[in-house]
Amino acid sequence: MEQLKTIGRELAMGSQGGFGQSKEFLDLIKSIGEARSKAEEDRIVVREIETLKARLSSPNTPKFKLKEYLIRLLYVEMLGHDASFGYIHAVKMTHDENLQLKRTGYLAVTLFLNEDHDLIILIVNTIQKDLKSDNFLVVCAALNAVCRLINEETIPAVLPQVVELLGHQKEAVRKKAVMALHRFYQRAPGSVSHLVSNFRKRLCDNDPGVMGATLCPLFDLITIDVDSYKDLVVSFVNILKQVAERRLPKSYDYHQMPAPFIQIKLLKILALLGSGDKKASEQMYTIVGDIMRKSDSTTNIGNAILYECIRCVSSLHPNPKLIEAAADAISKFLRSDSHNLKYLGIDALSRLIKISPEIAEQHQLAVIDCLEDPDDTLKRKTFELLYKMTKSSNVEVIVDRMIDYMKSIIDNHYKTEIASRCVELAEQFAPSNQWFIQTMNKVFEHAGDLVNAKVVHNLMRLIAEGFGEDDDTADSQLRSSAVESYLQIMGEPKLPSAFLQVICWVLGEYGTADEKYSASYITGKLCDVAEAHSTDDTVKVVTALMKIYSFEIAAGRTVDILPECQSLIEEMLASHSTDLQQRAYELQAILTLDAHAVEKIMPMNSTCDDIEIDKNLSFLDGYVQQSLENGAEPYIPESERSGMSNISNFKSQEDHEPSIHALRFEAYELPKPSLPPNVPPVLASSTELVPIPELSYGAETLQSATSASDSGPSDLKLRLDGVQRKWGRPAYPSPTPPSTSTPDTGKIHESTQRDSVSNSNPKIRDVVSYDSRKQKQVEISPEKQKLAASLFGGASKTERKQPSTTHKISKPQTDKSRPSKASTTDTAIKTSQPPPDLMDLGEPSGASSAPSIDPFEQLEGLLDLTHDATSVNVGGVGAPTEPSDFMSLFSDMSLNVPSDDVTNTNGVGGITVENSVQQLNKGPNLKEALQKDALVRQVGVTPSGQNPNLFKDLLG
Amino acid sequence: MIRGVIIMNDQGKPRLVKFYEFQPMEKQQELIRSIYRILCSRAENVSNFVKVDSLFGPDVRLVYKTYATLYFVFIFDSSENELAMLDLMQVFVETMDKCFSNVCELDVVFNFNKVHTILDEIILGGQVLETSSSQVVKAVEEISRLS
Repeated sequence: MEQLKTIGRELAMGSQGGFGQSKEFLDLIKSIGEARSKAEEDRIVVREIETLKARLSSPNTPKFKLKEYLIRLLYVEMLGHDASFGYIHAVKMTHDENLQLKRTGYLAVTLFLNEDHDLIILIVNTIQKDLKSDNFLVVCAALNAVCRLINEETIPAVLPQVVELLGHQKEAVRKKAVMALHRFYQRAPGSVSHLVSNFRKRLCDNDPGVMGATLCPLFDLITIDVDSYKDLVVSFVNILKQVAERRLPKSYDYHQMPAPFIQIKLLKILALLGSGDKKASEQMYTIVGDIMRKSDSTTNIGNAILYECIRCVSSLHPNPKLIEAAADAISKFLRSDSHNLKYLGIDALSRLIKISPEIAEQHQLAVIDCLEDPDDTLKRKTFELLYKMTKSSNVEVIVDRMIDYMKSIIDNHYKTEIASRCVELAEQFAPSNQWFIQTMNKVFEHAGDLVNAKVVHNLMRLIAEGFGEDDDTADSQLRSSAVESYLQIMGEPKLPSAFLQVICWVLGEYGTADEKYSASYITGKLCDVAEAHSTDDTVKVVTALMKIYSFEIAAGRTVDILPECQSLIEEMLASHSTDLQQRAYELQAILTLDAHAVEKIMPMNSTCDDIEIDKNLSFLDGYVQQSLENGAEPYIPESERSGMSNISNFKSQEDHEPSIHALRFEAYELPKPSLPPNVPPVLASSTELVPIPELSYGAETLQSATSASDSGPSDLKLRLDGVQRKWGRPAYPSPTPPSTSTPDTGKIHESTQRDSVSNSNPKIRDVVSYDSRKQKQVEISPEKQKLAASLFGGASKTERKQPSTTHKISKPQTDKSRPSKASTTDTAIKTSQPPPDLMDLGEPSGASSAPSIDPFEQLEGLLDLTHDATSVNVGGVGAPTEPSDFMSLFSDMSLNVPSDDVTNTNGVGGITVENSVQQLNKGPNLKEALQKDALVRQVGVTPSGQNPNLFKDLLG
Repeated sequence: MIRGVIIMNDQGKPRLVKFYEFQPMEKQQELIRSIYRILCSRAENVSNFVKVDSLFGPDVRLVYKTYATLYFVFIFDSSENELAMLDLMQVFVETMDKCFSNVCELDVVFNFNKVHTILDEIILGGQVLETSSSQVVKAVEEISRLS
C-alpha cells in the first residue's frame, strides 16, 4: 500500500514536469540540508548507504529504480563517503540496452573509477560494442567514457573504432572522436603518433564545432613541435579571418562577438607559430591588427580577445604598430575599475615589456596602485611583473617591497616562492654585500625554514670568501658587519633553524676576529640562544663555542668559561643525543690542549682552504698490517659484498662462510597479518630478529646483503644493529641535521652564486637621481611618486615623452566612450523586463554592479593625476619631447573611435533583438518557476534556515 | 587544459564535482574544502581569478563566480585565457538556464546527471568541446528526446 502511494506520487510529479526523482531523494537532500552538524549529516548519509546497499543488490529492484539509486550513490560519494560497493552496479548498468540507463552507467563509472581500476576491463568490451552502434547517442556516450577511462594498455582495443568515427556523418560524433584521439595522444603519444595527420584533416571539417574542437589537439601538438606545422600558418590566418568576418553560423556568436572562443584558440596557436619567426609573423600582422580594432572592449569576452591579441603580439616578431596598439589596450585595462581587467593588464604588461621594456614606465602609477590593492590575486600578479622587470637600479625597492609583502602571507607555499624570488633577485642584482646580507637576514627572519638549504650555504660562502678580489679589508668589514647584525638579531625570542645555523657559524668563525667583541660576550650570547631553542639547534651553538674557545687558546689568551657556558656543557655531557654528547666531550678535550695543538685542529680563518683527503687511508697501512699479523680477517672490499642480489656474485659469496653464518634470522617468513600486503615482511620483523641455526636458502641471499656493511666475522650483536638500521624503522630520530657538519669542517662544497654576485655592478646613481626630483612632485602623493621613480629607474626619460597633449587626446576619448557605454547599460536595464533572468545575459562582466561613485569621474581624476605628474616633470626637467610618436598615436585613435561606435550601435541592436527573442522564450517561465516552487513545497522540501535561497534563480 | 569544474553552494557543500584528471575521493574532498576556504576569504569586488598552484601544481589557477547561492569554479592551467574561462562559465550557466528554465540550486541537485550531460557537451577530457550554447541545448534535447 505504502509503495503504491509513492509510485502514485512519483507519477504525479512526472506529469507535472518535476525533478523526476523520488520522494526519498528529496527527503535525503532535505535532511542533509537541514543537518545541524557534520556528525548528523554523516549519520544520515550512512543510513542512506545502508539503504542503497540493500536495494542495489536486491534482485527485485526494477531497472528504472536502479538508475535513481546509482545517482543517489554518486551524490553520496560527492559528499565524501565511500561508495565503492556500488561500482560494480555502475559497470553492470553500462551493459544495459536502454540508452538512459546506459548513459547513467557511463556517467557513474567515469566519476567513480580511475583509468587503472580493475573494473575497467569489464567495460572495455561494452565500449567497443557501443562505438559500433547505429545510434549515434550511444556512440557519443561511449566516446565520453573513452576520454576518461581508457589507459595506455587499452588504447589499442578501441583505437580503430575511434579513428573510423572521425569520419562519422554526425558532427557531434566527429567532434568527440577528435577529442578522444587527443586524449590518447596525451596519455601515450607513441600509440597514436601515426594518426596525427587526422587532426590536420579535421581542421577543414565543414562543421565549425568539429573545427573548433580540432584546435585543441593542434594547439598541443604545435606547442611540442612548432616547425612541422609552419605550413598551416596560412590556413589558421584564413580561418581566423573568416571567423572575424562573421562567416560562421550565428549560433556561434556570443554576446555579439563572432565565435570568440575559437578566435582566442586561434590567436594562441598563431602566437606559437609566429614566435621568433619573422616570415610567419608578417603573415599575421594584418589579421591580429584587425581583430584588435574590432574587439569590443565593453564586454567581458571582447576584452578576453583583446588580451589574447596582446599576448599574441608580444610573442610575434615585433611590429611597432601592433605593439603600440597593444600598449594602448593595456593602458585601457589598467585604467579600468574592474579588477579582472587590471589583472589582465598587469599580466599583459609583463609579457609586453619583454619586447618593449619602455612601456612599463608610462604605467608606473597604475602598477603601484595594483601593488597596494587589497585584492591578493592582483597583488601577486603585480609582484610577478616587478620580478620580471627587476634591474640593478631598482632591486632594492622591489626586494624591500617583496619582503614587506612576504611578512603578511600566511600561505606557506607562496611564502616559499616569494622568499626564493627575493633571494634570487638579491643574488643577481645586489648593489653591495652589506645590502645582500641584510636582505638575507630579513628573508631568513620572516620565511625561516622555508628557505632552501642551498641558500644558507651560499650566504655562508659569501661571507667566508668575501667579494672575491684580494681586498682583505673589504672582506673583514663585511664580516664585522655581519657579526654586528647577527648579534642584534640574536635577541629575538625564536629564530628559524636555518638562520640560526648561519648566525652560529658566522659568530663562531668571525665573532672575535676583529677583536671588537670579547669572547665571553659572544659565548654568553650563544648560550642564551642555546637556552631559547631546541636541542637540535644546540649542536650549532656548541660548534660555535668550540671554535671561539680554540681561537682564544690558539691566540694564547687564557680562556675563562662563563658559568652559564659551563653549565651548558655539563648538561650536554649527559645529553640523550649522542651527537651532542660527542661534541661536548670534544669541546672539553680541546680546552685541555695547548695552543699549538689547537691551532692544528681548528686553524683560524681556514674555511676557504681545500682539505686534502687521503681516500686510501694509507696512513693506516701499518696498523692494518699489524692486525693481520695478529690473525685478523682481511678486509673484503665493498664491491664484493654488495653484489649479493646478483646471482653470479652469489657463488663467491659462499666462500665467505662467516658472513652467511651470521645472517640466520628467522623472522622473514612470518609477516604480520595486520600489515598491508605490499610491505615486505622484512620491515615488520626487523624488531624481533631471532638468530636460529637453520633457515631457507632464499632468505640467506637477502640477509647476507644486510650484513655486508659489517666486516667483523662473528659478532652477532653488531650485525643485528646493522640490519635494523638498514631495513627497520630507526629506533630513534637522528637529532643531527646533516648540514651541521658543514661549519664543523669549515668546508662548503657547492659553488654557484659567487660569480653572479660579484659580477653585478652596484648602480646607485639611478636610485639617487630621483631624490632631486621628488620635491617637485609633492601634489600627488610624494611617496607614491618616489616609489614609482625608484621602481621604474629611467622614468624621467620617458615621462618627458608625454607632453600635456596626452591629456587632450585621451580626454575626448573617454568622453566618446561615455555615451556609448551608458547607452548599452541603459538598454540592458530596459530589456530586463522579467526582472531576474536577463540582467546577466546582457551584462555578464559584472560591470552593472556599478558603485555609487561615478567611474568616469574617477577615470578623469586619474588622468588629471597623471597629467599633473607629467607636466610637473616636464617643468622640472625641461627636456625635448617626441611629438612624432604622439601624432601617430593620435591618428590611430581617431580612426578607432568611429569604428568603435559602429560596433557599439550594432551591439545595442543585437542586444534588443536577442533579448526580445529571449523574452518570448522566457514568457511562461515565471509561471513555471512558481509551479516548480509550489511543487517543491508540496513535496516537503522547504528552504531551511541553513540555506534559505535554494530556489533563487542563478541568473537572477 | 581545464583541470576541473566544481559547483558548490555558499555553505561549501559540493553540488557538482568533476575533475578531468582522476582524484581519489579523499583528495577531492580536501581540494573542495581548500577551495571553499579560499573563496570565502575573497572580498567582494575583487578579481574572479585565484592562483591555486599550492593545490594543483605550478601555474594552475581558478576562476570563480557566484550565481545566487552557488559558487561556480573552473580550474585550469596556463594554456587557457582567464577571462574567456569566465565567459565559458557564463555559457554553461546560460545553457543550464535554457534547459531548466530559471535554473536554481535545487535543479542542480536533483538533475545532477543532466547537469553532467550539459557539462560533458561543453568540456570533454579537459578541453573545450563546444562553445555555442544553442548547439549544446540541441545536443542535450536530442539525448532526452531519443531515450
